[in-house]
Amino acid sequence: MVFSSLLFLFRFLPIAFLIYYIVPKKLKNLSLLLLSLFFYSWGEPRYFPIMLATILVNYLAALGIEKFAEKKALRRAFFLIAVFFSLGMLFFFKYTNFFIENLNGLLRLSIGTLELTLPLGISFYTFQTMSYTIDVFRGKVKAEHNIIDLGAFVVLFPQLIAGPIVLYTDINEALKNRKINLAQIEDGVKTFILGLGKKVLIANNIGALWTEVEKIGFANVSSPLAWLGILAFSLQIFFDFSGYSTMAIGLGKMLGFEFPENFNYPYIARSITDFWRRWHMTLSAWFREYVYIPLGGNRKGKARMYFNLFVVWACTGFWHGANWNFIFWGLFFFVFLAVEKAGFSKFLDKHRIFSHVYVLFLLLMSWSLFAITDLTQLGTFFMRMFSFTVGADWLYYLRNYAVTIVIACVLSTPLIPRLFEKVNIGWLKNTVYVLILLLSVAYLVDATYNPFLYFRF
Amino acid sequence: MMEKIKQLLKHPMTLIFGLLIVGIFIWDNLYPIREFSDMENRALTKKPAFSVKSLMAEGDQSYTMKYEKYVNDQFVLRDQWISLKSRSEFLLGKTENNGVIYGKDHYMFEKYFSTDEERLGKNTAFVKEFGDKYADQTTVSAMLIPYSYEALEDKVPAGLAFVDQVARTKEIYGELEKSGIKTLDIFPTMSEHRDEYIYYRTDHHWTTQGAYYAYRQFCESRGRKPVELSQLTGHEVKDFYGTFFSKSKAFNTVPDVISYYDFSTGKIVIDGKETEGLYAMEKFDERDKYGAFLHGNNGLTVLRSGEVDRPGDGSRILVVKDSFGNCFTPFLLRNYDEVWVVDLRYLKEEMSAIMSENHFDDVLILYGFVSFDSYPSVSKITY
Repeated sequence: MVFSSLLFLFRFLPIAFLIYYIVPKKLKNLSLLLLSLFFYSWGEPRYFPIMLATILVNYLAALGIEKFAEKKALRRAFFLIAVFFSLGMLFFFKYTNFFIENLNGLLRLSIGTLELTLPLGISFYTFQTMSYTIDVFRGKVKAEHNIIDLGAFVVLFPQLIAGPIVLYTDINEALKNRKINLAQIEDGVKTFILGLGKKVLIANNIGALWTEVEKIGFANVSSPLAWLGILAFSLQIFFDFSGYSTMAIGLGKMLGFEFPENFNYPYIARSITDFWRRWHMTLSAWFREYVYIPLGGNRKGKARMYFNLFVVWACTGFWHGANWNFIFWGLFFFVFLAVEKAGFSKFLDKHRIFSHVYVLFLLLMSWSLFAITDLTQLGTFFMRMFSFTVGADWLYYLRNYAVTIVIACVLSTPLIPRLFEKVNIGWLKNTVYVLILLLSVAYLVDATYNPFLYFRF
Repeated sequence: MMEKIKQLLKHPMTLIFGLLIVGIFIWDNLYPIREFSDMENRALTKKPAFSVKSLMAEGDQSYTMKYEKYVNDQFVLRDQWISLKSRSEFLLGKTENNGVIYGKDHYMFEKYFSTDEERLGKNTAFVKEFGDKYADQTTVSAMLIPYSYEALEDKVPAGLAFVDQVARTKEIYGELEKSGIKTLDIFPTMSEHRDEYIYYRTDHHWTTQGAYYAYRQFCESRGRKPVELSQLTGHEVKDFYGTFFSKSKAFNTVPDVISYYDFSTGKIVIDGKETEGLYAMEKFDERDKYGAFLHGNNGLTVLRSGEVDRPGDGSRILVVKDSFGNCFTPFLLRNYDEVWVVDLRYLKEEMSAIMSENHFDDVLILYGFVSFDSYPSVSKITY
């Protein structure tokens, strides 16, 4: 089930909230666990046992780690079992075919690939769950003895499928003891509506343009249309992804949780370093906390720091999808992050306009790398972008999407939200929320294009 | 209790959101199930039956997918929500929805950007096979009708990579001619009359007017004298919303006018059953008004001319057609004593039987270009 669907809004949500608000405090986590398991199993009932196993393995491993605090080897064994299990599941479902295909290509074999659908949100919940076991192992947090509470964390439906990546330490206290109050719910409803609007009204609308370009075929588009297309994709992925995160944060609030922010106007960044402090913040934080720093971070000399960065960005790329283009996409960022670290960021600081142009240009390049998984196709697309063939095809699409593009560009900056904050007329603001909600429902009823971008993740 | 309500009133968005989702949830479940959407001209999904087997099924067949479709299709005030979206799209300056493009003068066009090469090749081969078999016994003619965007070029937004129907038709005709089939290039005719009402604005078909010009061209190619429209009594039916509207559901659609003419007829037999009249008059009052012509698409229809107007020479023509033929064939009643109409999609008899048991002075194969590019049933012409 995805948030941006009538099924979720008008079937799951009313039932889930009625149950959740009515049951006594003691049973709230149990109701959350059961509702979330239902949410998770809806699309792929066959994967229900996998989720149960994930909860059980991590629960038992953490108890083992706690119990054998004195026996180092045993403690380590429990830890490794949990990590191998989590990563193993992720690798099996997400990366098996990638390795088979590459092995086939390299050794001229013909091993058959597997017919697997990715369990919903596996990339996200794997990382979330690992944060728990790792933190218990490192002694940062105590093991959870109540399997219902831990289960509720692992499968919590708002953050299950597309982030933000909520660490166990972010919400462990709220899991045990949270007050649900109307002010927070009100805030959550508003946040959710904004997220819904981002996804349904902006991302879906502008994404149709990129799909159109793909359909025409990269070999047939003019240069202006190629640029228009990748601009549309860049806006789509931002509004899609941040829309999901915003909806998740809103739902979290309605349930009494405060999730970390995930996006902070990434497209106004003035360097790639800055961009990654604003884009999918919880993922970068996860890699910093659980990969970069354990590898030694920047404390072991320059050469080691660059190596660590390389590892982190290769992993970040690979996390986004089981394909070479995603690895190149990650390494593309590694190159520019390294260049900036080596001193280029000082230059960027001094040149305001240049820094924006530099970031936006690189991002358009990076999104091309991200959007096109076939490397030959990618080559064709770059050829089109830089061959400067002027056709007439872009005229129609520009006319059709101009208003949407302008709206999306403006909303990528803090301009409108800041103005909105300054307005002090309550009913006016609420009218805006109601309008966004009603329009979103209308677009969902006549959904000619409502993709789910994160099936790869 | 009062205190709680007071509290809630201080949080209006929670109240509105809660009432909306719970309200629609309840309303949805009380609302009667709609079988058919007139607006979208399609059957709506009903509540799927639950079984463990359907729960575990794959893809579209799975219970959860069907259930989600059912929720969407039976959503309260579905048509009104769709219209709200259409208005919002209009404000955003969008000129298309769901694959339908809005052109000038309220004309709509379908995005038809690529052909199914395999299908097109196969269908050409099937018709060739028919030509090889029968072209020396009777005159076989073929007519592919271009979709409206070709002739109404000036009403189509610039810069769109539509399939070049004219060029593709030429290629296909080249092939057919090798099998002894006479081909009729009607594009110049349609183009010449492009300022007249020859295609519907909201539907993929040609109008009766458009069909008439093609009829004239066919008659002239066969040395028969076409009837003049001024000699016929015509009728008009307003408020026709066609297939392009069903897809785009644009709120500001200007409906079409359907016209039909009176012909004197003898016995009419459709799939073995005697039927009254050329038109299913009750259909003109319904949504699918084009379905009135020839009572819709049927396997084998045999029309006989009335005594007054028939040529009386015992002449007989066979028309193998898709739905474009339905408003075309009535005109032929003025030139042939019997008009046999075959729609291969629904034909139960074998073509070879029809051909051997009857003598036809003429055979006309008439297809809309897009149908010819997509119908697998064309293969039945060789059976």
